[in-house]
Amino acid sequence: MSTFRTMLKTELKLSLRGMDMFIFAICMPLIVLVILGIIYEDNPAFHGADYTFLQQSFGALVTISILAGGVMGLPLVISEYRSKKILKRFKVTPVTPVMILFVQLVIYALYAVASLLLLYLVAVLFFNFQLVGSWFYFLGGYFLVMLSIFSIGMMVGGLAPNTKTASVLAILLYFPMLIFSGATLPYEVMPEALQRVADIMPMTQGIKLIKVASLGMEMDHVLLPIMVMAIVAVICTVLSIKFFKWE
Amino acid sequence: MSMQDVIRVEHLSKSFNGLPVIRNLSLSIKRGAVFGLLGANGAGKSTTIECMLGTKKADSGRVTILGKNPWKERKQLFQRVGVQFQEAHYQEKITVQELCEVTQSFYKKTDNYKKLLEQFGIFEKRKNFVSELSGGQRQRLFIVLALIPQPEVVFLDELTTGLDARARRDVWKILTSLKKKGLTIFLTSHFMDEVENLCDGICILRKGQMVFHGTVEDAIASSPFDKFEDTYLWYTEEEMGNEYL
Repeated sequence: MSTFRTMLKTELKLSLRGMDMFIFAICMPLIVLVILGIIYEDNPAFHGADYTFLQQSFGALVTISILAGGVMGLPLVISEYRSKKILKRFKVTPVTPVMILFVQLVIYALYAVASLLLLYLVAVLFFNFQLVGSWFYFLGGYFLVMLSIFSIGMMVGGLAPNTKTASVLAILLYFPMLIFSGATLPYEVMPEALQRVADIMPMTQGIKLIKVASLGMEMDHVLLPIMVMAIVAVICTVLSIKFFKWE
Repeated sequence: MSMQDVIRVEHLSKSFNGLPVIRNLSLSIKRGAVFGLLGANGAGKSTTIECMLGTKKADSGRVTILGKNPWKERKQLFQRVGVQFQEAHYQEKITVQELCEVTQSFYKKTDNYKKLLEQFGIFEKRKNFVSELSGGQRQRLFIVLALIPQPEVVFLDELTTGLDARARRDVWKILTSLKKKGLTIFLTSHFMDEVENLCDGICILRKGQMVFHGTVEDAIASSPFDKFEDTYLWYTEEEMGNEYL
């Protein structure tokens, strides 16, 4: 079997044995969806809106697992493998850093997609949800957010000198983006000042993009979020591969 | 130095925080030889191995293994070289079989890991977590991992530490048969019976400096003793008295 398939199979098993990603990337977004669904049922997002609150939030909820995998899972697993000197052992084999990073990237992408499918099914079956926008634009935005958030995580995991720094950075990235980017707490209910601050985070830009696509709104004002996401993705990916440290 | 040299180290030096750990070390090892790097704890053995493999960067000097530079030609070189580090490094919840499968997947040409596990007496442990193995079993597993690529050269850092007498003899037997097939072995060991049994050539390090390079017989002949263990201690502790005067 190829290096990629064997590593993917094994690393996926190891990750599932760890349980934490199952909780943070699969269970948590589902719980938030169920709570919002129970509270808002199929009420409109605001008085006179032609879409429901849940439709407005769906685009945000699907990013929770991207965030959990990208800025918690990825950097922690990479820095753990470094501090446990597993990467040092890999260095005296022919495996490449790109392969090691890519396998982890695919694992967290699988978690995110599993979460997306689960959220969609539950929303449709239990909360009368419909994705009114274009699936094509929705998935385009979704994978762009994934790319840019994952690249941030790869960079942190690749460059953090030790596990402690990696976990501090992971927490500093994870919680503010989880709470203030609109992923859990809806952006629309935030006071304007907080919205301004939230706008700085790449995740907020990404969620705006997915929301516009999922609600089928006009595609103006999306150039900025797209540019921000793409630039972050390119810079972080290049840095993480160029400055990859085995030890 | 001849074309036959599989490992070549020239003027290798390395310091940590200004303290020299390896001083101007030069070695050459021929194909099919078993070479032992000896010295007390802290003499610089592991650092030497790591500088040779490229997991640490030497301050100066040159290393070639199978004619390749471990820094610049890492991918090609480690298709043909197996390594067992002094400490075992593995993922927390990985099983013996999974670790072997992943290791096997890195290489183009491999030996059957099940056969190797059987040879080393740990086949029945293949479904266990690596963390559940005893120290000796884990040691043998990491020798198996080093042998999976059917290497031309293998580095074994403290190969039988933690093994019981029976298991050590078994490991010696396997290594001797691999050597007959042309495997070059670079090892470190604290057991002088093992060194006498296996090594064609040795180098004794004291504080990062080579104090002897040759065969076990030459070492004994060059000392006032007729047992190798005494010779070794004499080389590693010589001048010790002077230091404290």
